[in-house]
Amino acid sequence: MNTTVLRKDADVTTGPAPADAQDPNRHRPGTGAVAVAGRIALYVLLTVVALGVLLPFIWMLISSVKDDRDVFTVPIQWIPEEFKWSNFSDIWTRVPFGAYLGNSFFLSVVITFLQVLTGSFAAYGFAKMRFPGRDLLFTGYIATIAVPWQAYMVPQYVIMQKLGLVNSYTSLILLQAFGAFGVFLMRQFYLTIPDEISEAARLDGLTEYGIWARIVLPLSKPALASLALLTFVNTWNDYMGPFIYLTDNRLWTVQLGLRAFIGQYDAESAMIMTGSVLSVVPVLAVFLLGQRYFVRGIATTGVKG
Amino acid sequence: MKLKKNLARVAPLVVAATLTATACDASGTDSTSSSDGKTVVKIALWNYKTTPEFKALIDGFEAENPSIDVQPVDILADNYPDKITTMLAGGDTTDVLTMKNVTDYSRYATRGQLLPLTDVASKLDKASYSGLSDYDLQGKYYALPYRSDFWVLFYNKDMVGKTDMSKLTWGDYAKLAKRFTKGSGSDKVYGTYLHTWRSVVQAISSAQTGGDQLGGDYAFFKDQYEMALGLQKAKATLPFATASSNQITYDSQLTTGKAAMVPMGSWWAAALLAEAKQGKNDVKWGMAPMPQVKNDGKTVTFGSPTAFAVNKKAKNADAAKKFVTWASGPEGAAAVAKIGVTPAYTSDKILDTFFSVDGMPTDALSRTAMQPSTVQLEMPVSDKSSDVDQILKEEHEMIMSGEKSVDAGIKEMDSRVKDEVQ
Amino acid sequence: MSAVAPPTPKHVPSGASAAHQAAAKRRRRRTTLLGWSFILPNFLGFAALTLVPVIGALAMSFTQWDSYSTPKWIGLDNFERLWNDSNFWAALQNTFYYAAGHIPLTLAVSLGLAVLLNQKLRGVRVLRTAFFFPYITSLVAVAVVWNMLLSPESGPVNQFLTFIGIDNPPGWTSDQDWAMPALIIASVWRDMGYYMVLFLAGLQTVPAELYEAARMDGAGPWQRFWHVTLPGLRPTTFFVTVMITVSSFKVFDLVQVMTEGGPGRSTLVLSQLIFREGITQGRFGYASAVSLALFLICLVITVIQFQMQRRSER
Repeated sequence: MNTTVLRKDADVTTGPAPADAQDPNRHRPGTGAVAVAGRIALYVLLTVVALGVLLPFIWMLISSVKDDRDVFTVPIQWIPEEFKWSNFSDIWTRVPFGAYLGNSFFLSVVITFLQVLTGSFAAYGFAKMRFPGRDLLFTGYIATIAVPWQAYMVPQYVIMQKLGLVNSYTSLILLQAFGAFGVFLMRQFYLTIPDEISEAARLDGLTEYGIWARIVLPLSKPALASLALLTFVNTWNDYMGPFIYLTDNRLWTVQLGLRAFIGQYDAESAMIMTGSVLSVVPVLAVFLLGQRYFVRGIATTGVKG
Repeated sequence: MKLKKNLARVAPLVVAATLTATACDASGTDSTSSSDGKTVVKIALWNYKTTPEFKALIDGFEAENPSIDVQPVDILADNYPDKITTMLAGGDTTDVLTMKNVTDYSRYATRGQLLPLTDVASKLDKASYSGLSDYDLQGKYYALPYRSDFWVLFYNKDMVGKTDMSKLTWGDYAKLAKRFTKGSGSDKVYGTYLHTWRSVVQAISSAQTGGDQLGGDYAFFKDQYEMALGLQKAKATLPFATASSNQITYDSQLTTGKAAMVPMGSWWAAALLAEAKQGKNDVKWGMAPMPQVKNDGKTVTFGSPTAFAVNKKAKNADAAKKFVTWASGPEGAAAVAKIGVTPAYTSDKILDTFFSVDGMPTDALSRTAMQPSTVQLEMPVSDKSSDVDQILKEEHEMIMSGEKSVDAGIKEMDSRVKDEVQ
Repeated sequence: MSAVAPPTPKHVPSGASAAHQAAAKRRRRRTTLLGWSFILPNFLGFAALTLVPVIGALAMSFTQWDSYSTPKWIGLDNFERLWNDSNFWAALQNTFYYAAGHIPLTLAVSLGLAVLLNQKLRGVRVLRTAFFFPYITSLVAVAVVWNMLLSPESGPVNQFLTFIGIDNPPGWTSDQDWAMPALIIASVWRDMGYYMVLFLAGLQTVPAELYEAARMDGAGPWQRFWHVTLPGLRPTTFFVTVMITVSSFKVFDLVQVMTEGGPGRSTLVLSQLIFREGITQGRFGYASAVSLALFLICLVITVIQFQMQRRSER
């Protein structure tokens, strides 16, 4: 693997994820008018693009304080005729939205925790251990990713029903916590950790479990954080899983709660948007929190000289 | 290392929480009788809170049958049939299942997932039931309808004024639509709004011309398409492409005064009343019979009934049967008419109840609109229904968005239905 | 070192004694057990609830099954039907079209974003968050705003196109030729932040010393990108490529809300066909056959990607 070859030049034992102090940029502030102008241009560009990217979200925000029938109009009404702030207070009484948020949060946290834990554990086996059957097993994992859930939804449900787990969180947790995604992702990151590090640790008398817990895990913080973030978001936003498995209203998640505003013949569109805005907040918090771990901000690239 | 420490701290909490949650689930009510000894009947339905007819039926039934406790199993309307299919595949024991449409009904029934109700159905007075015969599967019945919706022409009374809407042909309707169209830009008011569903053109033309939607020969759609496209060309209705890509709701077209006339199902009446009650709209609306192809004094329209069925694996089949029978009969009809929903069972008394609902338009025309001479089923039932439905929907989009001419679209329907639907 | 799983090395020294061989065997058994012990916690859940249903579902493609009655073995009938089903071919073609646009564009955009936003810039956290937003914005909002932006008569995109001198701008989602490009644009926009996160995490594994070394050697920004960043990111790029590939062949939600497969069936994709045939119409056997086809396509592509990855490591 190429990274390892390259790394022979570097100090192997320090491993990846260098400390902030090595940021070369700090010692080399932009020199001259050209650099400043370039920098300004970059900011302007990024800001414009970011605003463009946020446009649908802005629409969502505006719709969340509109009247239902003003949500879908031609042409789009960017400034509501009247601001219906009451949507944000009504939603808590119209449906048990607080409870739905709690349910979603509980499910997302448990599933994320289990996915990260078992995924990173299994990935060690796939990336750092050698034993017969390993590749076949790994192929099995990858292969299931290629099957659309629409195909195996019913067989899966039948199994769950036989186990008596339908209409419980246990079913969803079991279903989503052991996916192939986490295993695959963590394996790929472990591959970038040079084997020399674990060899050295082995010589120091660490067991394989010790190497995983004390060496590999701390080194793969960015990967763990991104896996946790993405799993959290995917669980949080999942609709079909909770829809099929959770029947009892007390167990409903935010995504189900939002769809409750869609009737057979009509939809309370503004309320849906109000709920969507509220449901983004926890995800946002997790993202801001996670950023600290998965980006350390080394100045690396090609944009400036 | 901080992450690891945090993990170590969180882990026991998570495990504990999982265990508690699992324990909670296990205590779910999964018994055939409630704690006070009542027989429990569970009924799968959608959006319990926003669909008041369910509560009306359940409350009415429980009042007359104090020994039975009817419990709603609330499912989101959006994917209701998908969930029912999955639940039944897993051997679910929910007692009563609401049949959202007749095509799904026939699928569940032919798979043997529903309990036969032929004995009950044979005792009913068929003349008073609209839509009962749609549930006849080779002489057997597996569900009984409790409501029956059909299409009428809703209109905005202020915009229509004194125009006589009682005996419109489609030609008259198109002329009116052009006459009611006014203004431009964001003040534009359309004479009518044709929703994006294919039934707006296809089902009505099938009902009024006698053409068969499963037949594979769709020349009979032609006049109706020309009419609809003509309105679109004259800018007397919101263009199909705009309506579909902007997910326009038909409700807003009438209630915000954007369109003067909207052909739509009778279910809309209850929704409009509910909105008025919540102060969401103050539009003055009325109902007229659907415009006709022939002006022969008959009003032909289309519609679809909604029914209750008993799950073959029901825990309390007898009580479930009792509920289904009650809901489809005169008592159930009275209960739903009281909230502005059109029941399957009709009589003068029921119509009186329906029109005495607060806010319901009480003019003679609206009452005429509620008594069409013929209501044809929206889509005939066969094992090919959904395949044909899909093809007709796709080609409908092509014709209405101007991607294909009417003739080319109809030709494509003919050949695709013949080739693809074996 | 080869990262992707070479077979267990069998370097038993020639002339080794039986005792040595036994020791090696014991050691091998021990590593096998150890390896399994790592994988098992995840595998138990995975096997019971994903692998078994998946295999079961794929096996159904040789049967006629309505989800309830006992499946009836019908051999290859479903595949014969598949061969003659114009919906399948339309969906297959559309899916490939989507994938051909979605995969390279998403890869390029998300990688570019990650490299750009991995720097220490003022406000970079806000920017990163902004680019992740499309992924967490409600799909309904996504559909509405994109349809508005791309609206044939009044949309800003077409107004701009007219402004720069294009007389006959496309009809986007209401035009059968342009609906798929419109979908691809919206999907790249939606997914870029998601894969950016993965690339960002990958970038943290590239040692800063390498950049310094390259800089000393006089390498310019592009050279550093080609010779340091890209090689260092290879395992991540591989993972992201596989995930994007598989997810674009399975695309469902976005198509469902933006075009529902229309106009006509110009954006009908395989997952929609599977859902429609299976869940909606109750032809689970046939739906499974379509899934099997989709599965095999993904598998072939993934295997090719694996081979390419392995070759590039040598």
